[in-house]
Amino acid sequence: MTKIIRIELYKIFKKWRTYIGFLAIAVLVPVIQIAMLIEGEKSLNFMTRNLQQSFIFVGNLLNGYLITYLILGSLYIHIPFLIALVAGDLLAGEATSGTYRILITRPISRFNLVTSKFIAGLLYTYSLIFWLALISLGLGILIFGTGELIVLKSSQIIIFAKSDVFWRFLFAFAFASLSMSVVTALAFLFSSLVENAIGPIVSTMAVIIVFIVISAIEINIFQTIKPYLFTTYMSSWRLFFDDSINYPEIVKSCLILAGHVILFFGAAAIIFKRKDILS
Amino acid sequence: MKRVTLFIFLLAFYTFSQSKDPNIILNNVKEKFNRINDYEVNVRIKVDVDFLKAPESEAKIYFKQPDKIHFESENFALLPKEGINFSPMALLKDNYTALYDKEDTVNGVKTSVVKVIPLNDKSNIILTTLWVDQARNYIMKVESTTKINGTFTIEFNYDKPVDDYPLPSSTIFTFSIDRTNIPRGMYGNMDEEKENDKKVSRKRTTGRVYVYYSNYKVNEGIPDSIFEKKND
Repeated sequence: MTKIIRIELYKIFKKWRTYIGFLAIAVLVPVIQIAMLIEGEKSLNFMTRNLQQSFIFVGNLLNGYLITYLILGSLYIHIPFLIALVAGDLLAGEATSGTYRILITRPISRFNLVTSKFIAGLLYTYSLIFWLALISLGLGILIFGTGELIVLKSSQIIIFAKSDVFWRFLFAFAFASLSMSVVTALAFLFSSLVENAIGPIVSTMAVIIVFIVISAIEINIFQTIKPYLFTTYMSSWRLFFDDSINYPEIVKSCLILAGHVILFFGAAAIIFKRKDILS
Repeated sequence: MKRVTLFIFLLAFYTFSQSKDPNIILNNVKEKFNRINDYEVNVRIKVDVDFLKAPESEAKIYFKQPDKIHFESENFALLPKEGINFSPMALLKDNYTALYDKEDTVNGVKTSVVKVIPLNDKSNIILTTLWVDQARNYIMKVESTTKINGTFTIEFNYDKPVDDYPLPSSTIFTFSIDRTNIPRGMYGNMDEEKENDKKVSRKRTTGRVYVYYSNYKVNEGIPDSIFEKKND
């Protein structure tokens, strides 16, 4: 199985589209960082203007941690597209290129094959999140240095001590990896249904956008169904940046997201196993 | 006309009936403080505001007469804007009218209460009340009403005297503050906070900042260049 995963990874990383995600992050993150370097202090002053009526701020709040926190905030809207780009192609790409039949003539079970492809897809997802963490945290700290992290919530302002931040980011990025695994699994499921990669990519993004929009509109019926949408739990990485961490809520979110990964992958495996491959 | 006469009579009666001269009380306080040319001190700051969670922070404060002040901190520190410079010069630098009010006790110390009304229209302070320990000429408590930020109080504690200089070992700064209305754009999605938000009242709230002073170095000479640096 390891060998098949390695082959699948080779196939993934041989395609140029795989590097779009890495390239996009390598461009987007420094652009945000440069913008913050120029305008960040002004924005921070604006956000904390009420506090500054009563307090003098001494020290550096505009630091690599704050920039990383802001970048992470945009994760679950933009990064899914970069993931779907690869995950949506995992099975449908074989159909498009006409290699499905030759692929399943190899002496491995269809389940092992589909599992290997899925694991390779997950590894791509994790490497993308790792790249995001490396660029945002690494470059952010290099440009802005470290310091206390100010987190502005609508009803609370929390300032975390410098020594109390890094571990929160590690867990937040680990959680983000799980969130993005759901996107991978969903794109993989759509990929098992069709024979063209465009469909799964667009469908995955459509589902995510629709769910996010439904969650954002404050109409009772939408708020009732909100707990049943997986996108609701994708932003639970923010819970690691609460004053007292709500671990039961984090565990609940993790279980729901992991459940979705299993559900989507399970469905994809069943579909692939029963698939009548004619091309 | 009758009203004006009555007002003048009452004012004259009030002024002449004052058992203590507020200007002498304040001049004694200023004189005592003027024995300090400069000082540097380490401070530990604890912020207690219900919507603001911040770790305890440490900083160094440099002060030089008449009103130069500079802060340094290795980490981020929130310092109370009004209370950190407790020099009476900061409070009494412009023209003012002082009125003796009464005697009162602050933390077991007998004090004279003096009300100070700034005469400068541009002053943010409308009225300041000072509780002065006349035995030592120390300010024990200050209460100021401002035009914009409501009323704030500073209580001084002189547990560890520094060679009879009027330098506190701790201060408690009490103030009222608006719950911050935070623009959401920069921080992205805050959906998960909206429900909590509804439960929180938008009224002003009272906050406290505790400042603990240690390692005073008084009149050892601080170069002016220190005060030219940006607070960091």
